[in-house]
Amino acid sequence: MNEIIIGIDLGTTNSEVAIVENGQVRVITDNGKKILPSFVGIDDQGQIMVGEAARNQYLVYPERTIKSIKRLMGQDIQVDMAGHAYAPQEISAIILKRLKAIAEAHVKQPITKAVITVPAYFSDAQRQATREAGEIAGLDVVRMINEPTAAALAYGASQADRKHMLVYDLGGGTFDVSVVNIQAGVVEVLSSHGDNHLGGDDFDQQIVDHILDHLSETKGVDARSNSKALARITRAAENAKLVLSDQPFVQIEEEYLLEHEGAAVHLSLELSRMDYEEMIADYINATIDAVHIALKGAKFTPADIDEIVLVGGSTRTPCIRERLFNEFGFEPHSEVDPDLCVAMGAATQAAMISGQNVDAVLVDVTPYTYGTSALGYLDGEYYPHTFIPIIHKNTALPNRKTEAFMTTYDGQEIVDVTIYQGEDPDALNNIKIGEFLIEGLQDVAQGNIITLTLDLDLNGMLHVSAQEKATGLEKSITIKNAISRFEHAALDSAKTRINTLFGQLEAEDAIAGQNADTPEIAEARKLIAKAEALFDKTSDEDKEDMIDLIEEIQTAIEAGSSDELQAASVKLADIIYYLES
Amino acid sequence: MKTPYEILEVAEQATDSEIKQAYLQKVKQYPPDRDQGMFQQIHSAYEIIKDITGREKYALFNYPEADFNALLDQAFSLAEPAIMNAELFDKLLRAGIDDKTFLTTLPAKAKS
Repeated sequence: MNEIIIGIDLGTTNSEVAIVENGQVRVITDNGKKILPSFVGIDDQGQIMVGEAARNQYLVYPERTIKSIKRLMGQDIQVDMAGHAYAPQEISAIILKRLKAIAEAHVKQPITKAVITVPAYFSDAQRQATREAGEIAGLDVVRMINEPTAAALAYGASQADRKHMLVYDLGGGTFDVSVVNIQAGVVEVLSSHGDNHLGGDDFDQQIVDHILDHLSETKGVDARSNSKALARITRAAENAKLVLSDQPFVQIEEEYLLEHEGAAVHLSLELSRMDYEEMIADYINATIDAVHIALKGAKFTPADIDEIVLVGGSTRTPCIRERLFNEFGFEPHSEVDPDLCVAMGAATQAAMISGQNVDAVLVDVTPYTYGTSALGYLDGEYYPHTFIPIIHKNTALPNRKTEAFMTTYDGQEIVDVTIYQGEDPDALNNIKIGEFLIEGLQDVAQGNIITLTLDLDLNGMLHVSAQEKATGLEKSITIKNAISRFEHAALDSAKTRINTLFGQLEAEDAIAGQNADTPEIAEARKLIAKAEALFDKTSDEDKEDMIDLIEEIQTAIEAGSSDELQAASVKLADIIYYLES
Repeated sequence: MKTPYEILEVAEQATDSEIKQAYLQKVKQYPPDRDQGMFQQIHSAYEIIKDITGREKYALFNYPEADFNALLDQAFSLAEPAIMNAELFDKLLRAGIDDKTFLTTLPAKAKS
């Protein structure tokens, strides 16, 4: 039997997990539900909660609940949940771990590998963070594929005739548009464009701002500082948005929203679809502009497109359909559920990687141009930071390109290589994604040849190497998250931390055949919790020892070997005793 | 070193759509997820010869059989020298791909 690889759509607002079973793609349900809201929270017993329960808790305890974490992926920041700081990767890992457990309960065996989808316009840093989240969750991310591509794959698998498809993917936090050619069993992305910070959340925010303005104008209240009221307003705005997808008006009612000068403040406000559409007009215009950029990238006009596929919950906004109809002259498709088709495509790709026969093969492109900077001319002027594109936007993945550069002065021993992502001829206007030095070059006259190789892998991640041609002196880096470096040790401790948070939950829906914790294991888990509580107060050395022991204990629990569990537990207890005394 | 035509297993006279078909068939056979090296080879072969401009460029700069110098010598050794206008130059480029000899088509057109 082939190894099981699951397909995961890790969305801003909702997440899903799917697999291919007996040749059929299937979105796995949890308590009858295919969609897991991407909410994470801590309940009053300190237990972790994911999905529906966490979303409900958000209203009452916003300070103990995290939503839309995907928008922060790839940034070097921490979010606060119930008084503890977490990296975005860790919160995403909690969602992934839950999805993993849902899939394991379905297939009744452990799962360690996944294909995870990311927005096509996700940057290198955001992709890296997603991979790290997988690692923390105990999932080897065998491939990251782009969301619109996954959707096209879900549609394309069943297509017999050649089709040019436009995938319009507007999710909770990101927007992507891709032009795809489906022909002879190959789903070939021709071009891709997008915005990695535009989505339904922005629409909600417009309504939230509108409500806040209304409250301050009519009641003289500033609700911004009241986190509970703000959470209720956010939820009310979301609901209003959903109602406006079907109705021309919505009545927004929240009684006893907050107290102001001793009196209760009620919210009651009517919002029309027309007003709402005006609020979000700029966002919609931006998406239509992106559609045209993608068409241009594929050298197409709207008339070349045979079908439009809508992906993501935000495409339910009626004015989006109208605008696309005006541009293309026909109605978009949505036969496959726009919430599920991305996970389905991910599962199809997972099946293909695990060696199963699948109907459609995927060829994807990068939405970014990658290059470096060098001495050159810009607008006719001598300029030291001219952008030299090496891998161009809409190049098929994987791709490897080499360029030769020369040193600029005699005896130059060091070359500073900076890698940029963007389209601007001035490198400084592009996004700097990595930088490294090649040192110890030969002491020769200027013109020493240095070759620079950019290697963009199937995950859309960049690997860079540079070589002094004459000596073969080489330097290579993987463009890691240039902004947030999540070091390996940090990953390990995050893994342990998340594992412990999950301790009880996992025991509850333990996969078939696994027994509940023995007293011995329960004792060990308590020890782990104790040890982690001490993390903040201990030296790095002690912390590392504890992390190692915690890992030993966890391996022992998984392997069911009580001798090793005993031994590691005793050692950990000793350290804790020493630290506490 | 295989030529792009050999990699995609298409005739040199193949049309754009035949080349595309051959490319897709190869991709289906060697998906990027299974054999990255093979896919890159197939893809770059396709990129080179996917349209007439690409095929002409390839014929000019990579095609060993199209001896451009010989063709030019032939052209210049004609009794009535051809005037190198844009149309004629275009013909010269195409000759390398389609006919491999320039002489057969040149004199008649040159006089017109």
